[in-house]
Amino acid sequence: MVKGRAAIAVLGAAAMAVSLAACGSQNSSAKTNDKALTVWFMSGSNPPGWTKDITAAFKKEHPGVKLTVKVQTWDGIQQKITTALSEDSPPDVLEVGNTQTPYYAATGGLMDLTADKASLGGDNWAPSMNASAVYQGKQFAAPWYFASRVVVYNKKIWSAAGITSTPKTQADLIHDLTVIKAHGTKDALYLPGQDWYAFDGFLLDAGANLVTKSGGKYTGNLDTPQATAAINLYKKLNSFGTAPLDKDEATPQQSDVFAKGDVGSFIGLGWEAAGAIAKNPQLKNEVGYFPIPGATAAKTAKVFIGGSNLAISHNSQDPTMAKAFLKLALSDKYEGELAKVGGVVPNKASLDLNLAGNAYGTVAATAALNGGTTPLIPAWGNVENAPNPITTLFMTPVLQGTSPASAAKKADTEMGTRLNQQQ
Amino acid sequence: MRLSFARRVWPNAAAVLLFLFFIFPVYWMVTTAFKPDLDIISTTPVFLPLHATAAHLVKAVHASGFWGLVGDSFVATVGAVLLSLAIALPAAFAAARMRFRGRKAFILIIMIAQMAPWEVMTIAVYLIVRDSDMLNSLLPLALFYMMMVLPLTIWTLRGFIAAVPRELEEAALVDGCTRGEAFRKIVAPLLAPGLMATSLFGFITAWNEFPLVLILNKESAQTLPLWLTQFQTNFGDDWGATMAASTLFTLPVVIVFLILQRKAVGGLTAGAVKG
Amino acid sequence: MAAQFTGTRTRPPGGPAAPQPPESATRRPRGGSSLARGVPYLLILPALVATAALLAYPLLRNLVISFQVLDAFQLIQHTTQWAGFSNYTSELSSSVFWDTTVRSLAFTAVNVALIMALGTAVGLLLNRLGKRMRLLLSLGLVLAWAMPVVAGTTVYQWLFDSQYGVVDWLLSELGMHSMAHYDWFAQQMPTFTVITLMIVWQSVPFVALNLYAGLTTVSAELFEAARMDGAGPWRAFFSVTLPILKPFFLSTTFLEIIWVFKAFTQVYALNGGGPQGSTETLPVYAFIEGVGNQHYGTGAAISTLTIVILLVLMAYYFRIILKQEDEL
Repeated sequence: MVKGRAAIAVLGAAAMAVSLAACGSQNSSAKTNDKALTVWFMSGSNPPGWTKDITAAFKKEHPGVKLTVKVQTWDGIQQKITTALSEDSPPDVLEVGNTQTPYYAATGGLMDLTADKASLGGDNWAPSMNASAVYQGKQFAAPWYFASRVVVYNKKIWSAAGITSTPKTQADLIHDLTVIKAHGTKDALYLPGQDWYAFDGFLLDAGANLVTKSGGKYTGNLDTPQATAAINLYKKLNSFGTAPLDKDEATPQQSDVFAKGDVGSFIGLGWEAAGAIAKNPQLKNEVGYFPIPGATAAKTAKVFIGGSNLAISHNSQDPTMAKAFLKLALSDKYEGELAKVGGVVPNKASLDLNLAGNAYGTVAATAALNGGTTPLIPAWGNVENAPNPITTLFMTPVLQGTSPASAAKKADTEMGTRLNQQQ
Repeated sequence: MRLSFARRVWPNAAAVLLFLFFIFPVYWMVTTAFKPDLDIISTTPVFLPLHATAAHLVKAVHASGFWGLVGDSFVATVGAVLLSLAIALPAAFAAARMRFRGRKAFILIIMIAQMAPWEVMTIAVYLIVRDSDMLNSLLPLALFYMMMVLPLTIWTLRGFIAAVPRELEEAALVDGCTRGEAFRKIVAPLLAPGLMATSLFGFITAWNEFPLVLILNKESAQTLPLWLTQFQTNFGDDWGATMAASTLFTLPVVIVFLILQRKAVGGLTAGAVKG
Repeated sequence: MAAQFTGTRTRPPGGPAAPQPPESATRRPRGGSSLARGVPYLLILPALVATAALLAYPLLRNLVISFQVLDAFQLIQHTTQWAGFSNYTSELSSSVFWDTTVRSLAFTAVNVALIMALGTAVGLLLNRLGKRMRLLLSLGLVLAWAMPVVAGTTVYQWLFDSQYGVVDWLLSELGMHSMAHYDWFAQQMPTFTVITLMIVWQSVPFVALNLYAGLTTVSAELFEAARMDGAGPWRAFFSVTLPILKPFFLSTTFLEIIWVFKAFTQVYALNGGGPQGSTETLPVYAFIEGVGNQHYGTGAAISTLTIVILLVLMAYYFRIILKQEDEL
């Protein structure tokens, strides 16, 4: 979970050099006289230039307020956020992963922003991206930035196999991969057996409903024709390469594998492609992107939307200032700039034009409009805690030859146990 | 009587093999830190970093307020070590040299304290520190690090004190020294290696601590292990930067170690009184 | 920390080769005023206060938490929800807990045995080597010892990386071609192999260097005498070295058991207790349940059980070591 999420917007080492110079020198006594606002961003999600700009703009608007931006690392982030929300003077504004938002909303640690939605620009947020910020009908966060998976391919390998246009349907994709493999590329598609977020897209696209609820109890629901179809497709695609069946996309980093230059394609994010190019500059002009094709050419496949929301802590000492910061960060100017500089998908379709010239971003933004997430129930995080039963009890066993039905039963049982653990 | 050739060779051969076994991970860490990316991911490992680059080191040092973390790490670590010595020394002396009711109970407490599973007590420690409004400060860090090393410090110093022949001390008492003077003039100098050895242990433990600082100090007063693990999760397989960070993190420990360890073992044998 | 054995010099335990020195335990401090009788208590007071405030209190707090449901909700809301013994009953009736316990015990036994055996062998070797070779080997030992655990773990991940790891390459070059790109972290036993290798690598220097330092204090005449009596190296070890350094072996084994049983960073950071929790030891299990899954009550219960198990495991040692205290 953390690894995958950590990955979402790593824009390079530089991103972290931000704002920490004063680390250790400030102390809690500062809060007594001056007004202070603390903002937590996750490492890698805020490009340095953007953070500098918005800090300056906020200072201009609110000269008396001392704004501290603290970049948190992904290690142990859940525990960090939980403990922080329990404190008397927690960070005022926090970046919270979209799939984790319902979990924190349910703890009562986040401020209800329902009344502020309109003033934050919420009327224009893309519904697919706002879904995770709403819990039990109330707005507990604001959608901030997103990313969705696309197919990253090596143009040289594809054209060498005689393929000149990108596939428009699933059938096209399978056909193309078959041709590329036959042409001598061992990894026409590198798809490791435990790439959970990629698989979640397959499940969404197949219409699988991962969790059912009856009588107040949750049950895992992988033992369905839809989930079977999803894993069968996944298995088929996995067979076009040599990726390990029991590893996720980060071990080894699939971008490193792709960087070697002999891999036809992988399903991934923009930063992964950028990482591959950084490792092997010769790939610079060879990397292309296309959305994962759907069953028909009319629509691309549904994908998992990863990303972050911005929330205000319930115990914030200064909600007015916190909302003012939120408003600024989510304004078209800064939301647009984030998309432009960070190459991430913004929360409104109208801002997608900021991605012009960004080959990955353009494709990802299109794909994200038809996206979904993991089930938005607070207990879902339990399922994704390592070892995630969907990857270890369902995906890997099926890829290794177990029947989907029997693997699904085991995974469903474990999911049920975890989902019904007390919150 | 001459030893056969084989019998003379095998200890040296074994020593060389063992040396390689122990040194290699260290060597590999340092060289990886200096290798360019292409050498790091090359199919045939590059054993000699002929194209050394400082790029990874620069990257590591430039990440998030590195020097601030270095400073805080030193304060917490050195604070913990000095505190633990100050508290342990009198206790160790009492446990080694004095007879009193409850001495065995005290020793038992020290042995049990040695077993505390700190990693899984973090939430309890957190609640205590939170409720006393001491988050984001180096003081609780230094205090708890001190506690982590205190039992072994007492235990070890007690051994050192016990090893100082009582006769020497008693001779001093006979010469008219007070007990305090006898300790200062006779025991303390012989104790130097013990102090070194325990400082070393304390330094390593506190320098390494991670789970506690992770949740106690989320906004300030952070230490280097946080920075090091951040490399692993943020850069994934950027082994060059990770190894550079590891090297930098190891460096102070090695320096302290090389200074103290020599004196610790050397002084120990020098001060030895034949049994 | 190089000191556990030092006490032996003035008080070697009874044995054929070691005549008993005058028993110092017979000496009592001169009787003094009640003030003087208070001195030892004053000396241990700071240590006791620190232990009470910084260790006993958190342990107590941990014990209290173990009877609660303490998840993110309760933590954030500052509410107390009592759970009675349910955290304990659910663990004690779970096969995962018992599997983990057995695994922890086996893991500790194997590692401590390896560390003590190899550490002793290396220590004896150090004693035999010429000056230059001894310096070389000591250098390797000291560097391995000095490497911080967090850094060491990172390095081992890198050494055993399936794509670019030098170990796989080496094994494959040595003719084990199936080991090319072998994934050490995909299965239980290979993962344990790497963890064990790392722990042994980190721990042997402690044993070896301390044993060597201890050996240098044993007078050479003893070994000479044993040799004169026709004892081979094995007998010399068992009849001279072992008895003289018995306190050293006792306390070192004691520490190693505790350290290995509690080893957290090595196990957790290398493979997160995976695959599928198959390399979780008790501390790692407690951490994953408590901190990882944010069920702090469950985590506290597991850690309490862990302490109990460790206490039982160590009871024998406590007795031996306390008995030694009588001889002081």
